[in-house]
Amino acid sequence: MATEALGWWGVPLGIMAGMLRGSAPFLFVSLGECLTEKSGKVNLGLEGTLLTGAMSAYAVSYLSEKTVGSAIAPWLGVLVAGLAGMVLGFIHAWLSQQPKVNDVAVGIAMIIFGSGIAFFFGKPFIQPSAPQLPAFELGAWSNIPQIQSALKVSPLLMVGVLIAPLMAWFFKSTRWGLFIRAVGDSPDAALAMGISIKKVRMLCIIAGSFLAGIGGAYLSLYYPGSWTERISSGQGLMAVALVIFARWNPIQCLWASLLFGGAQSIGPALQAVGIEGGYYLFNASPYILTLLIMIITCSPKKTLTGAPGALGTLT
Amino acid sequence: MKPAVKTIEMKELTLPPELEVVNMTKQFGQLIALDNVSLTLKPGTFHALLGENGAGKSTLVKCVMGFYKPTSGEVRFNQQVQAIDSPRDAQKHGIGMVYQHFTSVPAMTVAENLVLCRYESAALIDWKAEYEVLNAFMATAPFKLPLSVPVAQLAAGEKQKLEILKQLYLKSKILILDEPTSVLTPGEADEVLGLIREEVVAGHLSVLLISHKFREVTAFVDEITILRKGKFAGSGRVKDLTIADMAEMMMGEKRIPQTVQKTLHPDPAPVLQIQAIHANKDNGLEAVSGVDLTVNSGEIVGIAGISGNGQRELVEVLAGQRTATDGQVLVNGEVYRASRTEMFQHRVFVLPEEPLKNACVPHMSVAENLALRTFDRSPQAKGWMLLFKPIREAAQSLIKTFNIKTPSPETPISNLSGGNVQRTVLARELSSDHINLLIAANPCFGLDFAAVDYIHSEILEARNRGVAVLLVSEDLDELLKLSDRILVISEGKFAYESPIADADFASIGRSMAGH
Amino acid sequence: MLTYSRWRRTLEAVSIPIAALIFSLFLFGLFCAAAGANPFAVYGAIYKAAFGSWFAFQNTLIRAAPLMLTSLCTALPARLGLVIIGNEGALVMGGIAAVAAGLSVADFAPPIVVQLAMAIAGIIAGGLWIGAVGALRHYRAVNETISSLLMNYIAIALLNHLVGGPMRDPSSLNKPSTFPIPDIDKLGTIPFTRVHYGLLYGIVVCIIAYYLIQRTTFGFAARTAGGNVKAARIAGLPVGKLTIAICFLAGSSAGLAGMVEVAAVHGRANESLNANYGYAGILVAFIARHNPIAASVVAILLGGILASGSILQRQLGLPDATVYVFQGLVFLVVLYSESLYGRFAIFKEPDVVTPPTSSAPLAG
Repeated sequence: MATEALGWWGVPLGIMAGMLRGSAPFLFVSLGECLTEKSGKVNLGLEGTLLTGAMSAYAVSYLSEKTVGSAIAPWLGVLVAGLAGMVLGFIHAWLSQQPKVNDVAVGIAMIIFGSGIAFFFGKPFIQPSAPQLPAFELGAWSNIPQIQSALKVSPLLMVGVLIAPLMAWFFKSTRWGLFIRAVGDSPDAALAMGISIKKVRMLCIIAGSFLAGIGGAYLSLYYPGSWTERISSGQGLMAVALVIFARWNPIQCLWASLLFGGAQSIGPALQAVGIEGGYYLFNASPYILTLLIMIITCSPKKTLTGAPGALGTLT
Repeated sequence: MKPAVKTIEMKELTLPPELEVVNMTKQFGQLIALDNVSLTLKPGTFHALLGENGAGKSTLVKCVMGFYKPTSGEVRFNQQVQAIDSPRDAQKHGIGMVYQHFTSVPAMTVAENLVLCRYESAALIDWKAEYEVLNAFMATAPFKLPLSVPVAQLAAGEKQKLEILKQLYLKSKILILDEPTSVLTPGEADEVLGLIREEVVAGHLSVLLISHKFREVTAFVDEITILRKGKFAGSGRVKDLTIADMAEMMMGEKRIPQTVQKTLHPDPAPVLQIQAIHANKDNGLEAVSGVDLTVNSGEIVGIAGISGNGQRELVEVLAGQRTATDGQVLVNGEVYRASRTEMFQHRVFVLPEEPLKNACVPHMSVAENLALRTFDRSPQAKGWMLLFKPIREAAQSLIKTFNIKTPSPETPISNLSGGNVQRTVLARELSSDHINLLIAANPCFGLDFAAVDYIHSEILEARNRGVAVLLVSEDLDELLKLSDRILVISEGKFAYESPIADADFASIGRSMAGH
Repeated sequence: MLTYSRWRRTLEAVSIPIAALIFSLFLFGLFCAAAGANPFAVYGAIYKAAFGSWFAFQNTLIRAAPLMLTSLCTALPARLGLVIIGNEGALVMGGIAAVAAGLSVADFAPPIVVQLAMAIAGIIAGGLWIGAVGALRHYRAVNETISSLLMNYIAIALLNHLVGGPMRDPSSLNKPSTFPIPDIDKLGTIPFTRVHYGLLYGIVVCIIAYYLIQRTTFGFAARTAGGNVKAARIAGLPVGKLTIAICFLAGSSAGLAGMVEVAAVHGRANESLNANYGYAGILVAFIARHNPIAASVVAILLGGILASGSILQRQLGLPDATVYVFQGLVFLVVLYSESLYGRFAIFKEPDVVTPPTSSAPLAG
């Protein structure tokens, strides 16, 4: 088989493929969470949003194929996934801003609720197959199938890659970006300037959830490209750790997402070259990586540079 | 963007409007914070609002600024009634306020903070143009600040200057200053108030200054209004009133200055020895850079200094809330690491600043908070088991002795007023039969005169009993009154030390500024 | 002796969660109606499956047993101010350790010793697992919610690895499992019932946990640290040791639950161990407001409702995810109800009026 022909080259190639293929959910969710956390709130519920986004994208793509055709259907699915994310984001934003309600607890509740909703409405869509998002074939110059498939890039990933510097510019050079940073770093100062803290946070949480929903759409409409209850492996949660690792900087979120996408595919890449033992342990590498990163970057002696002041006990 | 800049320039040329507060009342539930108060701020005058803590000064200005909606009463500009519903509204009328606490965003630069506080700035920020405007503004401003430094890295004095600069940048015509010099050295305070006074005299500004410092009032202010317990208590021109008159109006009666009786202690023994202590701030920068100090029994050692010079971190090291990066602390000659057994063994007690935040558990009851140091010993515990009855009885006795106003010992301590929280902590820390060392930090902050007198007398009494007292305070008057020896901390080091009899106010002021 | 203020607060603490539960049942009914099922049929099915008969109630109790134990994994650290959701991970680690211990001594020890060995192994493994989370929080300031959730995934990966590899029983073909624990060593049932002794473990541990937190000096110190770490430090309380100790106890409860699952329910360790008791345990803790005794009651309630999942599926055609939706709804409503404390006049003590202090620049 061609795998043997590639030999050990299959591993780094597999990892690179993973970076291009698997980083988009991390990217969208982490950018969404970065936006949310810049305003001083944490949304742990993005794991549930991811699932709901994946399910609704898949369902809409499948159901609308007849009316809009298989080219537009998946993009419609992406849009609806974002909207579904916004609904969940609204629930989170409203509840977590009530007095005495614990942010983190709301996030956990939203994971349960979001997953429940996704699985409940998604039951009929597990079997059928929905139109998928297209891909740019950047590896068409090669005649090795592994390279061809490794260099397939989804336009959605490119959208994400564009959003990262856009967000960085947004935080620096627009009034709204400054408002968000003020609210997240020093709510007292924002209040003194007459900024509505509740409004800013609500908009940030909803916008963040929109992005997370799109991250979910990527899962079901591109890679792995199907809808099952096992489609997410904790990307939503890892993205929260990713934002801390990236020091709340959107561009660094981009690099970190690529790193995590690559880490996710270490297991399958090794399996493809015949290393079977420890399969489950290799698949746990993203979680171990996340944990290690958090251990290394956090310190009890000083607050992390770049941490929005209002985030409190998260960092 | 261009039109917004123009509007700001236009405002500069006119005299500030006359601001009148007419019969303003503000009620919070049952509490009447402000009762039918009236005040006139004439254009181009420097007006002070005096009163002790809790008199209603902050409430009044917050109503004017639109933070609170007054229960009744109105605000008039040049005789015309105006409703001010929010700080934004207030800004539109040209009123700006400089708060006691900083309202700049620490993570953002000076430039970003200045641009942010303008309400009419555009959605997209053209930094090149903004920097041009900012640089031009800085050139004519009374103080200079670096534009691209994050506010978190500025010193406390610079942060306060930024607050004032913000209002000048916004071309406010009426400036309300809430205790603006509390974080400035006496020299800086004079500089700031002097420059503001120049603007007032030139007719660019009217200023309403909240202060309790008579020195500033007599030096810079034209007129004063005095509040007492939410009501109007007097007003007049500064040149017609003496300090004694003003004090009497503030207090409601002639205040006899407290004489401080200090007993002599012939054989002082060192109780607390701080040796070459270094400690960091929360953000990792060094706050305490090597301090040495000895406190003997029966003496009060005072540490003066502007907030932000390392005294908070030093107190936290001594109280066990922060680990020192170097050096050691000895109590009674033994190395002290602030463990619970060491605290009990050496009888060390702490009165930290902001007691609710630093020394109390808000959701726990008054009784439980009172038992914080004793709950794991007999009679309040037997082995591992807590005994509730002794805890309750001890609490009831302390509540009575120290006059803590609480509905019951089981009330959560967060329901109590600030003064009563302080009394609770005082009761807990000062009630022990045998105290060796007392560390107090800003114990009287935010309290009314009666409470302040009470706490001062308790601390003095402890000193006279033989307790070693380390008193860290930002209130120089308090330190001058109570200390036997006074030191000044500046940028993490001690910059001045002298027995109280030889203390020289001018030198102290200079050391606080870092000279 | 309940004083005047205490009975009001106790009444508040009981009626608000009950009201929240009732309201979320109502919302759930609306959801089911929107999904095409008759809500009253749903309520009826739930009641029947949970409490309708002695048979059904025993099922409920069987489900409640591990819930009581895993809920402590969240409830105990919550009193310390930590939000830990590593219940599943600790349960899995406890189960693995219990199986390993049981299998190694089963050949030569009497049943009581085997069970003791399994329980101890489960307790230690679960305790160390969550104790590590506590240590990471104290020594490296790593957020405990994220780390405990990551540890869940890692524990499950370990389970799959061990059960599919080194610990595998070759005769377990379609579902990789470890070797089974001999029947004689499995936990027996309470006389006259089908309910295994795990229920007793659960109730006893909850009572012990309650007394530990409310009545001992250790619990007082923990609650102090949970209420204000700075106050705990100023009193010289050893915050680090308290953190790790409480986390160990929390994890050991969940680890014991894992042992119960292995020794009483499955008889062996395999992927069924990871049967998603974990999230429900978190929910129980929050509904019970982290009070261990309340948690034992809530566990029975919730256990019953979760037991109705398969009936809802069979009789009313609702997918098993319905129960997930219900859990989510309850959690959200209960969290919202947190903001209602102190807002109802009937529960309020006579007011101590707190004037706004001048040190707070902006009171509202």
